[in-house]
Amino acid sequence: MQIAPVTASFVGEVSGIDISAPLSSAQVAAIEAGMDRYAILVFHDQKLTDEQQCAFSRNFGELEVTLYGQMMKPSERRGPPEIGTITNLDAVGQFRARDDNRRMYGLGNRLWHSDASFRAVGAGYSLLSARVVPRVGGNTEYADMRAAYDALDDKTKAEVEDLVTEHSIAFSRGVLGFDDYGEGNADKVLPVRHRLVRTHPVTGRKSLFLSAHIGGIVGWPVPEARAFIRDLTEQATQPEFRYAHQWRVNDLVMWDNRMTMHRARRYHDLQEARDLRRTSIKGTGLTAEQAPALAAA
Amino acid sequence: MNITPLSPDFGGEVSGIDLTRPLTPSQVAAIEAGMDRFAVLVFHEQHFDDDTQLAFSRNFGELEISSGGEMARPEERRLKLEMADISNLDRNGAMRAKDDTVRLGSLGNRLWHSDASFRAVPAKYSLLSARVVPGSGGNTEFADMRASYEALDAATQAEIEDLVTEHSNVYSREVIGFPKEAYGAHNQDKLRPVRHRLVRTHPVTGRKSLYLSAHIGSIVGWPVPEARAFIRDLTEHATQRQFVHAHVWRPWDLVIWDNRTTMHRARRYDDLREVRDMRRSTIRGDAMTAPQQEAA
Repeated sequence: MQIAPVTASFVGEVSGIDISAPLSSAQVAAIEAGMDRYAILVFHDQKLTDEQQCAFSRNFGELEVTLYGQMMKPSERRGPPEIGTITNLDAVGQFRARDDNRRMYGLGNRLWHSDASFRAVGAGYSLLSARVVPRVGGNTEYADMRAAYDALDDKTKAEVEDLVTEHSIAFSRGVLGFDDYGEGNADKVLPVRHRLVRTHPVTGRKSLFLSAHIGGIVGWPVPEARAFIRDLTEQATQPEFRYAHQWRVNDLVMWDNRMTMHRARRYHDLQEARDLRRTSIKGTGLTAEQAPALAAA
Repeated sequence: MNITPLSPDFGGEVSGIDLTRPLTPSQVAAIEAGMDRFAVLVFHEQHFDDDTQLAFSRNFGELEISSGGEMARPEERRLKLEMADISNLDRNGAMRAKDDTVRLGSLGNRLWHSDASFRAVPAKYSLLSARVVPGSGGNTEFADMRASYEALDAATQAEIEDLVTEHSNVYSREVIGFPKEAYGAHNQDKLRPVRHRLVRTHPVTGRKSLYLSAHIGSIVGWPVPEARAFIRDLTEHATQRQFVHAHVWRPWDLVIWDNRTTMHRARRYDDLREVRDMRRSTIRGDAMTAPQQEAA
């Protein structure tokens, strides 16, 4: 197995490995070392079933059940609850209509975010496998939150060092005017707290833990917090910190949500199919103490 | 009067004229011609008071009442109604506190916008005079909506040609968590959305431009989340660094911009410790850009 840097310094392209087959512990360790160094790894020509993707993903920790899967009625689900279906097709393979609730919810993915930052433990890696891709558009863009942190001036680094932010799916969706989660899901949109500056457990590098799910900074007036987070996000997603992944069928991209943000780009989703499958590895620890009432909930 | 371009056709620095004194028609025409070409003009060392600024501004059309002034109760106003108070000061000249409602609402100015795009007849020029500036920060950034329109690919230009957007102050504030109730019950009627074309054509030059603003909350005929995601993408495109000029203020600078062809935003400064006192006069535009929806 070899890893070579692609255009962006934080993206490695992996060759010489078949991830649909069981891996040796040395292979798993080599991939993890690559993730620590780059934060994003790209594997081409990996034809995976959902089961194979889950098996490969479990090498890196416990799988997370997607929030949308948790919110859905079991009868509406496609496939195992650990597989997030990032697609414009409904359960019978038809294009979702323009005003479809799931489509509206999914548009929030076009904002820069870190997966599951609305959970108290966040997410570790996400793994996204391309099964069907549109001819144009639909890239996923990534931004390196370590480089973005390193580029801050000293005054800003000192200012952000101990800030604690509040994340909720309701904020990233509220910004786009979406708030229809269906009955019985109010508890899943309560905010959780995270440090704004995280330190990677292995490399010790600091990074900005930004996400469209942030709606407040503890101790700040809300409008001031949001204006500040917008400015930081703009700075952290400048072209020099970005990589745009143009999908080919059977690409698998894995990224570390602790050190990167990403977003989906537009495509003709009323006319062309796009079917990607995502697995996510649970985060391994809280980044901040939770508010007492929320921790109890 | 002489104009030095800050870039080939966006932003010009003007010298050799004292704007505090009455101007001749040919001087006014020269400034207007400069505005048509550069969209933003910077003048240094113009020692205005409010009366001379308003007198100079009237050369370019009818003055608009500031929305902040209009919504503030008379006893809270620091300045005349035609003068928008772009400062961190209250009526007594004291710096506003961290959780002051006016301060929090004004943070919306840190989002890219076009002044008064929430009015059915939106603003033409804004004229901003710097009386007191902070030691650092507090720049105003401008983005060229003509160049950003021209840089769109043909498919996008065709897609947006006839789109109509809905603008309200409510949206630019809501997005940063400033609720519309905070404007008070007496102001709710001033927050109704108005409609504008997304692509405008300049009446003199005939150049097309993107009419974007943080006040946009939807596109007529589109689902709201799709409209907002699309407007965010367009705004990001339109405010890339090659389209942006940052103005670093000096006391007694006056900057004029054309709201029909530019967006702008304020940048952060240490507003709890340093004073920034700017005064803005605004020229009314002469027409609506799209038919309005009849009152429900």
